[in-house]
Amino acid sequence: MAALLTANRSDYSRPMAENRTDAVADEARWIRQAQRSDSKAFERLYRLHVDKIYGLCLRMTGNVSEAEDCAQEAFIQAWKQLTKFRGDAKFATWLHRVAVNTVLGRMRKSKREQDRIQAVSDTSATTFVADDTGELRDLSDAVNRLPSGARHVFVLHAVYGYTHDETGSMLGIATGTSKAQLHRARRLLSQQLQDQGFEA
Amino acid sequence: MKDDKLTVSARKLATEISPQRDLWPGIEEAIQTPQPRRWMPMFAQAAALVLLVGASSAITYITVKDQQQPVTQVTPALLFEQTSFGGRYNLGPDFQDARDELAAQLDDELARLSPESRSNVQENLEVVHQAIFDINQALAEEPDNALLQAKLLMAYREELSLLRRVGGLTRNVMMRNDI
Repeated sequence: MAALLTANRSDYSRPMAENRTDAVADEARWIRQAQRSDSKAFERLYRLHVDKIYGLCLRMTGNVSEAEDCAQEAFIQAWKQLTKFRGDAKFATWLHRVAVNTVLGRMRKSKREQDRIQAVSDTSATTFVADDTGELRDLSDAVNRLPSGARHVFVLHAVYGYTHDETGSMLGIATGTSKAQLHRARRLLSQQLQDQGFEA
Repeated sequence: MKDDKLTVSARKLATEISPQRDLWPGIEEAIQTPQPRRWMPMFAQAAALVLLVGASSAITYITVKDQQQPVTQVTPALLFEQTSFGGRYNLGPDFQDARDELAAQLDDELARLSPESRSNVQENLEVVHQAIFDINQALAEEPDNALLQAKLLMAYREELSLLRRVGGLTRNVMMRNDI
């Protein structure tokens, strides 16, 4: 009976494990092909990662059209820098960093951050994400209303789980500053969510 | 709101979200657009250098060919050795004075040369001037390019050297006629 159970468990788990292995192998192959300027392979990488990257861009910018532009530019930058990817980290992690740099670069370059904050406060519904419901939607809106410094730290550290060292490195700020910004973000979020009746 | 709940809720925001439009067409268009050719300025530099060396060699050949006996030409130290220019520098007044003086004498000096030598000198001056023009154009795009600045300085030096050689050449001709 135990053997039967073991066999059954093995039978069930094998296809999932094989699928995962296949997916990793496929991704590695597409990366190698894309590094040799194969745009079709890069399109496959785009299809595989676009939702993650767009999600990050949306959380970082809080604006749908800006997030689309950022995600698009992040993939263009990734294409240009693809030969620098050595496989030391996961491709998704590398792509994440490219996207964060793209978002920050665009914000610095365009100096539209102040306009964006105004636009978000005017049209916060544009940031609505279908999967966000109830409390999560309130939290998402509150995050969008945070000042950019606090928002970026909160998104990278609290949402995506980067350490303060990593967050500081990506944002070009000291680790201590990252911690201070997180504290500020938490305080502001607590105030905002309390005002809106968000229950603890 | 407790931090724990905030932390837990925040993690739930790390979701995959599909953009409302397909971003791939824009990406595809961008990545298939040829990159601007960065080697063009380098090509211009290399071409300018080749032209300079060629011009220098040609004028040296003319000078040596026309001289029946070796004439020791005392070339003063370059007046503008310490001058430079480009985004960070300006041409020194010594350079400008020396160049203006030689340029003013150029027509008189050329008139003393044989038609063949005169033609060669003029052609070489045009080559140097074209090189200066090309480098200046490259510098307009990359004003802080130290290599281009150095090349331009070299080109101006070459022009001044050429003008001096023309002066020396005609003086040698006069010396022979006097003799």
